[in-house]
Amino acid sequence: MNPAQTALDRVTRVPGVRGALILSAADGLVIAEQLMDGIDGRAAAALAGSLVGRLTRTARSAGLGEPAFLQLRSEGGSILAAPGGQEVVLVAVTGPEANVGLARLEMLDAAGRFD
Amino acid sequence: MTDNIRSLTSRLAEEPSSLAFLELGETLRQRGQLEAAIKVARGGLNRYPGLADAHDLVARILSDQDDLAGAFDAWSDALRLDPLRTSALKGIAFLYYRAGDVLAAVEHLERAAESDPDDESIPRALARLRSEARRSASAPQATKTSETVEARSASVPEESTNGAGSESPFGALEEGEQGLLLVDSNGLRLGGTLTTSAEGEMGDRVAAQLAGLSREAARATRLLGLGAWHSISVETPEGQLVLSAPTAETVLLAIRDRSLPMARVGLLAERAARAARTWLEREA
Amino acid sequence: MRALEPWVIDPLQTFLDESSARLTLLMTSSGQVVAQHGFSRSLDVMTAAALGAGIVASTDELARLMGATRFGALVHHGARQSCMLSAFGTPRGRWIGLVVFGPETSVGIVQLFFDQMVEQLVTVAPREHAPAPMLAENFEGELNASLKALFGRQ
Repeated sequence: MNPAQTALDRVTRVPGVRGALILSAADGLVIAEQLMDGIDGRAAAALAGSLVGRLTRTARSAGLGEPAFLQLRSEGGSILAAPGGQEVVLVAVTGPEANVGLARLEMLDAAGRFD
Repeated sequence: MTDNIRSLTSRLAEEPSSLAFLELGETLRQRGQLEAAIKVARGGLNRYPGLADAHDLVARILSDQDDLAGAFDAWSDALRLDPLRTSALKGIAFLYYRAGDVLAAVEHLERAAESDPDDESIPRALARLRSEARRSASAPQATKTSETVEARSASVPEESTNGAGSESPFGALEEGEQGLLLVDSNGLRLGGTLTTSAEGEMGDRVAAQLAGLSREAARATRLLGLGAWHSISVETPEGQLVLSAPTAETVLLAIRDRSLPMARVGLLAERAARAARTWLEREA
Repeated sequence: MRALEPWVIDPLQTFLDESSARLTLLMTSSGQVVAQHGFSRSLDVMTAAALGAGIVASTDELARLMGATRFGALVHHGARQSCMLSAFGTPRGRWIGLVVFGPETSVGIVQLFFDQMVEQLVTVAPREHAPAPMLAENFEGELNASLKALFGRQ
């Protein structure tokens, strides 16, 4: 199993995670995905990629360096993102009751292996 | 009519959608032909409402015509399209100076200096304004002498938001306002400060990055079927950020170093957002 | 933004607002311009339409030679700007979109909202009977009339 698939498997096994994908940070395009029905991977990649880019510029302008983990909380769940090396970002979409703490740990570990 | 105006006018007549209106409008303005200039500029702006250059041109002409409120709105539009636009920052600084609000003028010139460090006119203007500000430090901080600017610039804070107490959205918070920013939808700072020993005051530069963030976050959660967004948290090796929207038109940013758990930063952000909402209701 | 047909305006405006595209051109597969945003000269519009239609025709032929179905979209990545060409079906026939965008947005965002625009165009396009085949002597007059409308010169 390749590293991308391993990463997606680990993240999607966390309770409450509805899907995960790996996107190209420069393009906002999907590299690999593992999603439940009802989640548009292409939209998730484009929208999450754009937000991660903007928040990265914000963090840099505040002198805080590159983000390691991001969470966008909403009524219906969260979008989690962990930028990795080689300009890829690991993204997970979760429901409102997801174990975000565990998802975060898995994502940070997986993203660290993309270097 | 000079040759240049003649040739630009011909070009525009042949091709009304040409961007030649920018150069023609500016040339007419510099020659003092303001009525003609504003006609040309507004015609171009109608075709290119998303062009910051066009808003900038209109603002310069209106400023020459002493329509300061109109100039303010036009430069604000230019900044909305291009948050780091030096000419608009300088223009608004000039309007504040004319209105007697030296501190706001300094603030905008400082942003302009960050945006264009090679513009030598800015440090000279800043030096002069700062010495004026120091001279009037014991006087009331801001006196508005221009009724029209005060009447039209409802979105601009009337006094410096760097002071303590009720002037600041975060004046009542125990933690103070350092590391908190309240930003409007155009990326302009409404209150709070962000200062580091290495970089000094960075609030305006960071605020500019947040223009449109609330709309983008709302779009992402809506299109992915997640409903309305609440907050964004960002972890970096150097610190943590939490962003939320106290109102539909504002974004709050809270920054702390890594020593504070993210959940605590979130609680601070919630308190700051409540304080910001109260302040905005009072200021409205 | 200018469009020859009013029902194109709302979907195109939504696309422009969401994608942050710098230039956009919608045309028929024969290169007849339907709507444009961001171009300042009619010559540029004509040239871009002709080139875009030609590129799509070439890649369609390439796909046919490869035994593949038509390519969905073509993206050229530039150092400062990128360009996407995408052909799509509408009740009015096959159209082509040419989009130029910069680093302030991304291919993913542009493609996402372009596809949404296509869905909206297909939904709102009037279902009229097909127009009469265009005669060669009408073509130049039609083209000139289109360009005048697109640049607000009517």
